[in-house]
Amino acid sequence: MNGGPRRAAGEAWAFRARVEREAARRFERLGAAISAFDPGSPVPALLDRAAGDERRHAALCAELCVAYGQPVDDGVAEEPIAPASLGPRAAVLYEMVAACCLTETESVATLATLLSEEAEPRVREVLHEIARDEVVHSRMGWAHLAREAAAHDVSFLSAWIPSMLSGTVDEGLFTRDEPEPDAEALLRHGVLPRSRKREIFVRTLEEVVLPGLERLGVDAGPARAWLAKRSS
Amino acid sequence: MLFKKLFRLLVLGGAMVGSASGCAGTGQTLAASDKKPEGRDGGADADGGTAKAQDGDGGTADAGGGVTGW
Repeated sequence: MNGGPRRAAGEAWAFRARVEREAARRFERLGAAISAFDPGSPVPALLDRAAGDERRHAALCAELCVAYGQPVDDGVAEEPIAPASLGPRAAVLYEMVAACCLTETESVATLATLLSEEAEPRVREVLHEIARDEVVHSRMGWAHLAREAAAHDVSFLSAWIPSMLSGTVDEGLFTRDEPEPDAEALLRHGVLPRSRKREIFVRTLEEVVLPGLERLGVDAGPARAWLAKRSS
Repeated sequence: MLFKKLFRLLVLGGAMVGSASGCAGTGQTLAASDKKPEGRDGGADADGGTAKAQDGDGGTADAGGGVTGW
């Protein structure tokens, strides 16, 4: 593979390497915070292990980035994302839901889709290794939300889910619809075409994330309105 | 089929992990007074907008973000 598709694959893996490094930093910070107010929770130990997983994933993504001829950017821009008005415990819950219930759940669906396609052998190995861990990373969010829902009213999250979603996904996913002539080639290198990515994102939201939030006491109405506005 | 499986694996499986070690303590509350965005000062648009609060000058007074993924 040469030219544009090779560069696009390299840039995708470079982006993923950065995302994984930021996740490692975030999980370390959240694990320490949860231990302070919920010492009986199994989640901090999972977050600690997940931080190590994410550093390993970053190295795997960087390896593929270099293999496709792109430079690796070692920068990490991780910082708290919760609204300043939230108390410390609510802020941790906000971040756990945003990072794990939304983003990691969407990542599992993306990885499962990529693994259902033909891929280059090394790409497939990397996808497989990452997918195995991301299942646990998603579960950490649902585990923490379930614990907090059992102890407190978590309905305040409902109004904030649109903010989380806007920060998770590029608006271009819904607005750009130009042809993607290299889509099939890129799929073999672990990159989903935009139309497929949009379909996976929406279905995961509608069939996994939003029902999950509702089950645990978070009204999904504002999130459904956010989605309807973009899908129409 | 994939999505039903993911719901069971991730949501139900995760909730089970969370409840396996008893309940979270309630000693530190979620501070009800400062956790919910309301109307113009709070966050989510009624139509499901981006939930960024605006102050009187139209600047962002309080906003939440998201986490970029794959």
